[in-house]
Amino acid sequence: MSILLDKPKEPEGGKSLPRFPEQPIKPYRRPNPIYNVLGSTDHKVLGLLYLALSLFMGIVGGALAGGIRAQLASHNLEVLSPELYNQFLTMHGSIMIFFVIIPALAGFGNYLVPLMIGARDMAFPRMNAFSFWILIPSAVLMFASFGVQGGAASAGWTAYPPLSLKEFSGGPGVDMWILGVHLAGVSSITGAINFIVTIMNMRAPGMNLMKMPLFCWTWLVNAWLILIGTPVLAGAVTMVLLDRGFGTNFFKPAMGGDPVLYQHLFWFYSHPAVYIMVLPGFGMISHVLAAFAHKRIFGYTGMVWAVGAIGVLGFIVWGHHMFTAGISAELRLYFSFATMVIAVPTGVKIWSWLATIWGGTLEFTTPMKFALGFISLFVIGGISGVYLANVPFDMQVHDSYFVVAHFHYVLVGGSIMSIFAGTYFWFPKMAGRKLDERMGNAVFWLFLIGMNATFLPMHLVGLQGMARRIWQYRPEYAAVNSFISLGYLLMVAAGALFVYSVIEALRRPRDCDEDPWKINDVQKSLVWTTPSPPPAYNFARIPTIGS
Amino acid sequence: MISSRFARPVLVAAATLLAVATFGQDFANIPASEPSITDWMFDPVTPIAHGVRNNALFILAITVPYLILPQVLLFYCIWKFRKRPGAKPATFHDNVQLEVLWTIVPALSLVVLAIPSYKLIKFIETMPEPDVRIEVTGRQFYWEYRYPDHGNIRISDEPLVVPVRKNIVADMTSADVTHAWWVPAFGIKMDTVPGRYTQVWFNVEREGWFKGQCAELCGALHSKMLIDVHVVSQEEFDAWIEMKKREFAGE
Repeated sequence: MSILLDKPKEPEGGKSLPRFPEQPIKPYRRPNPIYNVLGSTDHKVLGLLYLALSLFMGIVGGALAGGIRAQLASHNLEVLSPELYNQFLTMHGSIMIFFVIIPALAGFGNYLVPLMIGARDMAFPRMNAFSFWILIPSAVLMFASFGVQGGAASAGWTAYPPLSLKEFSGGPGVDMWILGVHLAGVSSITGAINFIVTIMNMRAPGMNLMKMPLFCWTWLVNAWLILIGTPVLAGAVTMVLLDRGFGTNFFKPAMGGDPVLYQHLFWFYSHPAVYIMVLPGFGMISHVLAAFAHKRIFGYTGMVWAVGAIGVLGFIVWGHHMFTAGISAELRLYFSFATMVIAVPTGVKIWSWLATIWGGTLEFTTPMKFALGFISLFVIGGISGVYLANVPFDMQVHDSYFVVAHFHYVLVGGSIMSIFAGTYFWFPKMAGRKLDERMGNAVFWLFLIGMNATFLPMHLVGLQGMARRIWQYRPEYAAVNSFISLGYLLMVAAGALFVYSVIEALRRPRDCDEDPWKINDVQKSLVWTTPSPPPAYNFARIPTIGS
Repeated sequence: MISSRFARPVLVAAATLLAVATFGQDFANIPASEPSITDWMFDPVTPIAHGVRNNALFILAITVPYLILPQVLLFYCIWKFRKRPGAKPATFHDNVQLEVLWTIVPALSLVVLAIPSYKLIKFIETMPEPDVRIEVTGRQFYWEYRYPDHGNIRISDEPLVVPVRKNIVADMTSADVTHAWWVPAFGIKMDTVPGRYTQVWFNVEREGWFKGQCAELCGALHSKMLIDVHVVSQEEFDAWIEMKKREFAGE
């Protein structure tokens, strides 16, 4: 998929076919610069807004995690009341999923996909702005519920009925949480439609699908996952809302409703959501590894098929979240088998990444360090996933800290590491300056060590029988939990240093050319042919892609 | 500006803190005589728990190569292929045989992995002829146990008492929200779902106290929904049943 920039062929017989102008189109600029940000439909501005929202909410979600870790620092503390503890764990999960990881990946997608496929913007720029701005009331609604009577939702981010029904969660917290999920879902769905239409229709001439950069492929599959899965989640939480406020009985056992039905509907979205949170990360990691190995991505075709396979399989494995819910043994056998099958395409990706760096000339820049760390951590999260796919073992450690360790290795070791790698890699393109490499080095090591210090011991206490989502615990687990709480502080230090280094970089003057990492001789990506940052509408002339 | 020397003192300080916090803990408040909840991996006490433990070790044996090999290759690449002056990167980007190999071999490993777990599921799911039947009801925030074959006596918020080396079959349900009954040493976790019955069985090999805990978020005091099981000899169990019957009649 080498990309050569050719001059477009002159039409046969001379002149006068309409062409894009040679000069960049000058967008209308309002006199007040604030309007140019708030009223912008430019995919780059919106991408940056997504990333800024993600960073801000990351601080909020991280602070909630701090409350949880303070409470769990020893076995009999009362830092938080048990009610508030449940609110913290619910909102920590919800915020990290809906307002940190998904928006961060949407931000990279918005910024990079049009640049990568040679388009001037997303297909529907106004809808793009809508997708972002609807997230703000969603976040406000969820977070404001801390201030209402009864506090925020406290039934876990899974909101299983009957616990999430009126009888057991009285105040308006759960209602606000559900409406927040609705708005975030609208944002996801409109965003997904935008990505699909953009990628299918707006690729530059000559860029067929199998020449498209891998990040765009991961976003294409991802957008389909969102489009298919999110309406089901919206339906499920709407049924809870109706049960709570409008007298329906979908999930009320006393009235013939079925709480297990909710679990099926919820996990039909929320298992693919795991892939929604990691597939674009896969794409970013592929680009970073290839760039700093100075090689092309190994096994491009296999990678595309693996992403597609993960996307399809992701929809038929939801039952592995319900092995202890009393579903039939046959269903458990099926879901166990299907879940293990996902390990195969995921393995293909791991091996292909290793083959990508094999024989290269590795440059250990900060993004490369994060990408290499990603491989190491994601393998651990993947293998513990194979453990959990085994029904007998899962029935022992289900809803224990082993599961907490597993999904944090996937979401922190996978998604967050890839978001860090992507941020350090494309920051020079977005901001025109590099983030400081020495501080980046410290951020990487603090985060890597802190991440492992926090989540590796959770495997141990989980195996030892510590249930998750508990406010106090038996004293046997106190030592390990103190260690975990201190590991959290290392991650906080990494986060604080990262925020500082972003501020520090933005105070420097711009100094980056088109290809600040000096990698595009091999990568031949359109992104690194545009100025840093790219002008409005990206390309003075729509590029043509050679073979 | 922060120099590269910045990272080292931070890391040293953090490591010291972690070490102090871990090894400076006060373990004295855990009575030594009480068996710990953490022992099931080393000391499973039911056939199911033995099965789960062996299954876990079997998965470990199969997956360890897949855990170690990528890490080894990763560190080999980092060491071997770091940028040296004058080195030229390789230009290969495809190898169909290799790609087929790393698709097929893990797939076969997974088949090998699945067979014993499938046998174990069947073993767990097949209820034996019960010697003692109990009914477990989860309530916010305590457990209620009933003995339908023993005068239907009912105990609430106190340890479950069962006889040793007998097949115990438990029917489970919930009176309010979903809970989960989990005793790690028995290798058993099962949700108690309102409006449904779930079933588990266990046969405990030796007498003693075994601990567990509710494993499904069920409200504010979820963490206080502890489980204690007292496994006693048949004689002690019979005596305990008689005592409880008298208590019941006296009420």
